[in-house]
Amino acid sequence: MKNTVLILVAIFSLGLYAQSDYEKGMQKAFQLWEAEKTVYASNLFERIAAAEDDNWLPYYYVAQVNTFASFGEKDGKTLSNQLEKAKMFLDIAKRLSPNNPELLIQEAMINTAWIAFDGATYGMTLSPKNAKLYTKALQLAPDNPRVILSKAEWDMGSARYFGKDISPYCKDVKRALELFATFKSDIAFYPSWGKERAEEVLASCGDNE
Amino acid sequence: MKRLFTLLFLSMLGTGLAQTTINGMVSDTKGNPIPGANVYLEGTYDGGSTNEGGAFAFVTTETGEQTLVISMIGYESHMEIGDVSYLKNLQIKLVEAINQLNGVTLSAGTFEAGDNSKVSVLKPLDIVTTAGAAGDFVAALQTLPGTTTVNEDGRLFVRGGAAGETQVFVDGLRVFQPFNATANNIPTRGRFSPFLFKGITFSTGGYSAEYGQALSSVLLLNSVDVPDQEKTEINVMSVGGGLGHTEIWGDQSLSFNTQYINLAPYEALIPSTQGIRWNSPFESISGETVFRSKGEKSMLKLYANFNHSNLDIDQENINFDDFVRFQLTNNNLYFNTSYKYFFENEWTLSTGTSISWDTNDINVFDTAIEAQEAAAHVKLKLKKSFSNRWDINFGAELFQTDYEETVLTPDQMEFQNGFDDQLFAGFLESDIFFSNHLAMKVGARIENASVIGDFTVSPRVSLAYKTSEKGQFSLAYGDFYQNPLNEILRYDQGLISEKTSHYIFNYQYQNNGKTFRAEAYYKDYDHLVKFNTELPEFNSQFTNAGFGYATGLDVFWRDNKSIKNLDYWLSYSYLDTARDFRNFRESATPNFAPAHNFSLVTKYWVDSLKSQVGLSYQYASGRPYDNPNTPEFLAEKTKPFNNLSLNWAYLIDQQKILYFSVNNVLGFNNINNYQYANTPNANGIFERQTIRPPADSFFFVGFFWTISTDGRSNQLDNL
Repeated sequence: MKNTVLILVAIFSLGLYAQSDYEKGMQKAFQLWEAEKTVYASNLFERIAAAEDDNWLPYYYVAQVNTFASFGEKDGKTLSNQLEKAKMFLDIAKRLSPNNPELLIQEAMINTAWIAFDGATYGMTLSPKNAKLYTKALQLAPDNPRVILSKAEWDMGSARYFGKDISPYCKDVKRALELFATFKSDIAFYPSWGKERAEEVLASCGDNE
Repeated sequence: MKRLFTLLFLSMLGTGLAQTTINGMVSDTKGNPIPGANVYLEGTYDGGSTNEGGAFAFVTTETGEQTLVISMIGYESHMEIGDVSYLKNLQIKLVEAINQLNGVTLSAGTFEAGDNSKVSVLKPLDIVTTAGAAGDFVAALQTLPGTTTVNEDGRLFVRGGAAGETQVFVDGLRVFQPFNATANNIPTRGRFSPFLFKGITFSTGGYSAEYGQALSSVLLLNSVDVPDQEKTEINVMSVGGGLGHTEIWGDQSLSFNTQYINLAPYEALIPSTQGIRWNSPFESISGETVFRSKGEKSMLKLYANFNHSNLDIDQENINFDDFVRFQLTNNNLYFNTSYKYFFENEWTLSTGTSISWDTNDINVFDTAIEAQEAAAHVKLKLKKSFSNRWDINFGAELFQTDYEETVLTPDQMEFQNGFDDQLFAGFLESDIFFSNHLAMKVGARIENASVIGDFTVSPRVSLAYKTSEKGQFSLAYGDFYQNPLNEILRYDQGLISEKTSHYIFNYQYQNNGKTFRAEAYYKDYDHLVKFNTELPEFNSQFTNAGFGYATGLDVFWRDNKSIKNLDYWLSYSYLDTARDFRNFRESATPNFAPAHNFSLVTKYWVDSLKSQVGLSYQYASGRPYDNPNTPEFLAEKTKPFNNLSLNWAYLIDQQKILYFSVNNVLGFNNINNYQYANTPNANGIFERQTIRPPADSFFFVGFFWTISTDGRSNQLDNL
């Protein structure tokens, strides 16, 4: 009897052990990222991705870490290496999880990083691609606050430039902010960014909200 | 209690397992440590990153044979397979990955207008917004070095070559009539809209073995694979109007464009008066449609273009008291079908067919000329990538040309001439990247033309060496053969191919928005066709006794970073050429080859006005002409050519653009050539008339409106 309990516990705890490897790894990677150890964070997400080869999330985070690191990067070689890596991991994530709105807006973010680096070169080809990605993401997930926020922020940029009314986009951002409060996913480590960004964008709306 | 038990058990389990430390050093091939490399056992959570000194160490509970993966951005991943107990004090050397954006490129002789391409010096949009080009991509290419300004022609004259020495390909397939039909001294335009293409490669020499039948140059146009969105485009111009629409269903899309051009209203307002009278100014109606279907591993494109144009003009001619009437009606139908399939093991198959039917009905001196050309190109190409350092391309193609001409003289005499040709060609070529610093392209092409029964072998080699982060040298050599032109083949099929050899030396420097290129070249022409009459005729005697050379230096500088919102490029070409061909009585510099060509193109974005203002200046030194009153041949020169053009694109809002341009805003009185009388006057002097452009300046106003689903895009998106 005692032996049976022991064996059962062993099996149970081994199961926990395996799962917590993923959890521990992901938590560690987020800690590294927060501590701005970008390379280590990216490497750890990449190792988790290699070990959990049917889970899109670690691939998604490799793409995201490298994309965020590219904003403000001035060296073309570093930037292209990072963004190409981001795109490579994103493509794998998209194969593991097709039609995932989070991945579509992440892809648009990679494009935005290229445009931010050299608008004259990449703006003309990548801007319509982003418009397409945001439209598709919104069709797939009309109530996903990150999708609503990303699309609104993208559209707001050019509306501002042409001196057009930005209030419809501000309304969208406000709606996104409301949805952030209720948005829940039962998948561990599901993307959760965006609330602070939405607040910043809404603040920039001023009286237009 | 239970929890405590589990913890105890876990810690026991942990200590119970054997632990091994894996450690080592990661460096590049020169021994410099690589920090931040990712090192891990494949399929496990065990791993780490290298520190500042390139060292790594981590503990694993795995045993037995394992795969250690070392990966780092910018380097090729490395694997070590072995028992964990042996994975100690490893010395790993990572090889730099071949990098598309920063690596060496095979660029001798080529200008690319792509999007992600590093060798890109121009982008498709640059072409449309070049002042003076008025949306004609060929006119924009004429601002690049290696081309010469032949104002009254409109086609591409490259490095001392005649216009017929340049061939145009769409998706690898030949375009048989890339230019609109026109009258003498009335410049033509390219038939295609630049917006159909995502990439344009303009090679001024030394190009790939995949292309042939062009002595001087090839222009390669690659069409868009998947349009980004559904949209309708409307344009209203001072010379006509157009309508286009793109519809997308999943991975399939259909686009169509129609355009109507009529110069009559413009000519009524601002008549062209210099040596011409329009009876009926140039009028054209064209339609094109593209269907694209993208599969998981394939891409199919069907393209069709129809163009009808006509003009009726009276032109001054020194040999006649009255103006000479010239009437032209042209119909052109062109199909281009291409299919690409990507196989699992890095094999790619590309195949396609292009077919054209072209008819010209010409009336001049009361003689009716009816010319018909039916031509086809079929091509099959295979590519295998062995790695990102080595690939092989090979293929075969067939060109079929069927040309017929009927001439009906005023006294009802009828003459017929023509020819049929099947030209078979095969090519094999390999790209080898030895490192990010050294690359080579080597290949050969064989051709057999049935009409002349000539078999040729042309080797092609190019080499590129990167000397620093930003600079590289390139060398290229190649032999190029071309059938004699249709106007000759229809009378004589006993000739052989004309030949050139290109020797090119190139230096390129790119640094953060600045591009400098200098290219020196030598071209050797042989077997050029000669004949003993003014123009090729049925009773002319033809030989391959012609020869010639062209040598020169092309310099290009572009900078779009130093001054905010200003983008400009400068081109200078020096050309020294002489040839004995056609009816030349000795070797001389032909009329289409001015020695110095200079272009300056500027574009300035005025944010407060939401406008792009463009200014282009073109200069060409005097062009040789022959004065029969002197004993020398082609020894005199016209005065230099000058043109300053201005354009202004105003974004009314995201979808509406107002466009205004003036060609030759300062009204320079340019002289293209002189025409001398066939016979001397009473004093024994050959009289002459000046050939000038029909009008010195040209104005253009257009309104472009894009209606798209997202309400954002336009032709000047995100300038």
